[in-house]
Amino acid sequence: MRKRKTSAWRSAAAVCALLLAAAGCGSGGGDDKGGHAPDKLGKGEGKVNIIAWAGYAEDGSNDPKVDWVHPFEKKTGCQVNTKTAGTSDEMVSLMKTGQYDTVSASGDATLRLIASGDAAPVNTKLVPNYKDIFPALKNQPFNSKDGRMYGIPHGRGANLLMYRTDKVKPAPDSWRAVFDDSARYGGHVTAYDSPIYIADAALYLMRAKPSLGIKNPYALDQKQLDAAVSLLEKQHKAVGEYWSDYQKEITAFKGGDSVIGTTWQVIANLTKAEKAPVKAVLPKEGATGWSDTWMVSSKAEHPNCAYKWLDWIVSPKANAQVAEYFGEAPSNRKACAETSDPNHCAIFHADDEKYFQRVHFWTTPIKECLDGRKDATCTDYAQWTRAWTEVKG
Amino acid sequence: MAETETRARTGTTTTRTAVRLEAVTKDFGTVRAVDAVDLTVREGEFFSLLGPSGSGKTTLLRLVAGFEQPTAGRIELAGDDVTATPPNRRDAHTVFQDYALFPHMSVEQNVAYALTVRGVRKAERLARAREALTTVRLDGFADRRPAELSGGQRQRVALARALVDRPAVLLLDEPLGALDLALRQEMQTELKELQRTTGITFLLVTHDQDEALTMSDRIAVVRDGRVEQTGPPVEVYERPATAFVAGFVGTTNLLRGEAAVRVVGRPGTFSIRPERILLTDPAEPPAEPPAEPPAEPLPGGRRAVTGRITDIVHAGAHTRFTIALPHGDRLTVLRQNLDGLPQSARLDGEIGLSWDEKDAFPVPS
Amino acid sequence: MPAAPTSGSRLRLTALLAPPLLWLTLAYLGSLAILLLSAFWATDSFTSDVVHTWNTDNFHELLTTPVYRTIALRTLSIAVAVTVIDALLALPMAFCMARVAGRRWRRPLLVAVLTPLWAGYLVKAYAWRVMLGEDGVVGAALGPFGLHGPGYGTTAVVIVLAYLWLPYMILPVYAALERLPERLLEASADLGAGAWRTLRSVVLPAVRPAVLAGSVFTFSLSLGDYLTVQIVGGKTQLLGNVIASQVTLDLPMAAALSAVPVVLIVCYLAAVRRAGALDSL
Repeated sequence: MRKRKTSAWRSAAAVCALLLAAAGCGSGGGDDKGGHAPDKLGKGEGKVNIIAWAGYAEDGSNDPKVDWVHPFEKKTGCQVNTKTAGTSDEMVSLMKTGQYDTVSASGDATLRLIASGDAAPVNTKLVPNYKDIFPALKNQPFNSKDGRMYGIPHGRGANLLMYRTDKVKPAPDSWRAVFDDSARYGGHVTAYDSPIYIADAALYLMRAKPSLGIKNPYALDQKQLDAAVSLLEKQHKAVGEYWSDYQKEITAFKGGDSVIGTTWQVIANLTKAEKAPVKAVLPKEGATGWSDTWMVSSKAEHPNCAYKWLDWIVSPKANAQVAEYFGEAPSNRKACAETSDPNHCAIFHADDEKYFQRVHFWTTPIKECLDGRKDATCTDYAQWTRAWTEVKG
Repeated sequence: MAETETRARTGTTTTRTAVRLEAVTKDFGTVRAVDAVDLTVREGEFFSLLGPSGSGKTTLLRLVAGFEQPTAGRIELAGDDVTATPPNRRDAHTVFQDYALFPHMSVEQNVAYALTVRGVRKAERLARAREALTTVRLDGFADRRPAELSGGQRQRVALARALVDRPAVLLLDEPLGALDLALRQEMQTELKELQRTTGITFLLVTHDQDEALTMSDRIAVVRDGRVEQTGPPVEVYERPATAFVAGFVGTTNLLRGEAAVRVVGRPGTFSIRPERILLTDPAEPPAEPPAEPPAEPLPGGRRAVTGRITDIVHAGAHTRFTIALPHGDRLTVLRQNLDGLPQSARLDGEIGLSWDEKDAFPVPS
Repeated sequence: MPAAPTSGSRLRLTALLAPPLLWLTLAYLGSLAILLLSAFWATDSFTSDVVHTWNTDNFHELLTTPVYRTIALRTLSIAVAVTVIDALLALPMAFCMARVAGRRWRRPLLVAVLTPLWAGYLVKAYAWRVMLGEDGVVGAALGPFGLHGPGYGTTAVVIVLAYLWLPYMILPVYAALERLPERLLEASADLGAGAWRTLRSVVLPAVRPAVLAGSVFTFSLSLGDYLTVQIVGGKTQLLGNVIASQVTLDLPMAAALSAVPVVLIVCYLAAVRRAGALDSL
């Protein structure tokens, strides 16, 4: 009995030692964060692994007419494997696995990927179409560091307010419908399931409660965060379900379980295609939104195909297709000539910087207030995460 | 006549019936397990249903217990019609062949179950359970689990459990079948004693004729779902009503047809119990049986034949001889090992046989 | 060479057992150990990178933040509710299968109970999402009685989880009931017990270990589930969801959180073990 115990302890100790050794190995290295941008491209590796937002890498399976993946494969010989992510957090954690070559990161993921070294700087010379990107999207704080680009801008847009036209009357034009007035649709309100959604509440408070002094929905001090959280807790009572899986939102609106809530244009389109009476609008307060960047992993196994994809997705034709399908402004000015609706760029304000000042692109909140305040400490994303868990209760 | 030997019960209850079956029939699908059986068990009686396996005796017991519903007929307990009464409302308890003790309960809880079900107060319940355990000599086992007991002890727990609230009738389904010989004989005595002291009507099912003969006040011999004969052990043994009874209860020499004419001297079917046949040396004339007291000479004549011994089996207290008669008929003879055998009583020896004529009694075939 | 076969067979036995044992210790227990170990690390709140500094902040936060307690309690109650519902459903169903139905029907019934296990988990969960939806069949069936379907939420989660794990409860209970000797039921009736009394005093104690064994499945499966909650839970948040969302953001916190169901299950197993039900697993 005694002997068995001793040997059990010994093997347990051995396992622990092994684990510690393994853990030590894992934490070593990593000083040289981010790797290097290549000087020239070689032959394609035959495949590329992509992390994308829904609707960013369509291969015709949702709609046979919507397909820019197969032409790419035919042209480059790079087989595309797409992993659709629902949130920026998911993208960040997928990138950390090192199994993906490129990602369509929004502003709340880009800086985190740059800081963690998961994204590599991009040699824009190897992306011929880069020259046609709107200048306003180049060298922005969310896609570059020390003057070096960490990706190729993809496009931008706003989070919209979607509602069932048969159930929500009168037609809403303000986010008030899902915040202060949410009780009217008790149990049928939906919201995006990510801590970043706190910014939507903050954005609404910018107008509804000017006394809070919110200037940037991503720069909230503790008091402002608390105000946003209590607004969201109030909304929580009326929420039927939160969504991050776009399919789930489509079925919820189609079935009438959700009648009003935040959405993306592409989801609105798909829901309409399912014959559900829905409409998506940009409320008068403006909106949160995104400006996406295709980034290359510092551990990319297929960098050549990744660069080919970067160039392809911002090429005028493909960029126009994505922009029209997802419902956003393209990043390539030449794409505006390729859209099936000639007014697409105008409708989505592709070159209208004034408009995009009303859209607050997703970005990661940090302790140094992003609105330039020096006298306050802002809440960082970890605090937002905790706050979001508490909102959902 | 032999019924007068039935032990007189205390008081005036002697004539009342405990169990009565009237034309009870039970079919399982197309198989008729019980066929229009009439049966009366008197109060305070130790009654046995004796028969080979598959004869329907257990079905009869289960009909009385209420586990089976008769296809036709009527069942009474203490004069009340209980044909449609469920088992839990019949004043009869069963001791199962495999005991069926509740494995998750202690011995005491098992024994007290009938009282618990009836809502008897705990103190009284425990006292009566202990008392029942004392009756079956199991004091000190109250807290054990059935799994911790031997077969004989479980048997006693099952008895105590069935007796604890003094049912009018106790039904015993081959209760001793799983016990070894020594224990079985001990339990036979004990069961009989228990029945005597409690005065409860016992209805026992068994295939063991020894058991039935030893313990019962009366026996019903069952065959193919019918009762062949009912009566006290002596009567069933000595005067079997049918050839089947004669063969099943004890061993016998059955003689029919030509053999009956040759051996018994009359046509018909006759039974001669093997212990009733005397062996003598062939030269000697048939003599008076030495075992019988000479003061009472037997009435009637004796018959004698000569045969050849083909087999001798020494079985402790007695020896069994198989004897071939000249025409090929065979007789079995049992002889107590009391004194010297006739000289010719050896294998292949010529031997004389004799019996009282009334010991060759006719049985309906 | 009489010793050769023995040492040879011992060698073979060792070779045969080594891979699974290695797998058990390294892959299975090892990953669990790493998980618990990583709960003591920190996260860079900006990059979500794991920082290997030893600390107990995660557990401190876990124990002091009220919302985690609320979520843990909600998860626990749902697991308990699912277990109780499954036990209540499984008992009569298993009883019918093992005792009431004819011998010929037992196998088909058993197959019928097992068949849903072959369908994909997600397929079943989404089917329930459709059924429980605003225009689903549940609402339509209740409509004529002036009732509403439960919609998406805690009730829906309990319903769907109870549905998903029911076979895990029925099987052991069915096995126990089938093993229960008919004689015991007869003995109980013989001694004066009615049907309810027999059920309470004889049948239930006999199947109690089986119910507990089944509850180990229903309880631990419910405790760890997060997909069903996502699909039909509406805004309900369970431990599994919090862990799943923290995995992408804060792995050490997720590890600390996942210690909660581990502790709950270990406690539950210990309680069940005391009741002696593990013998029948």
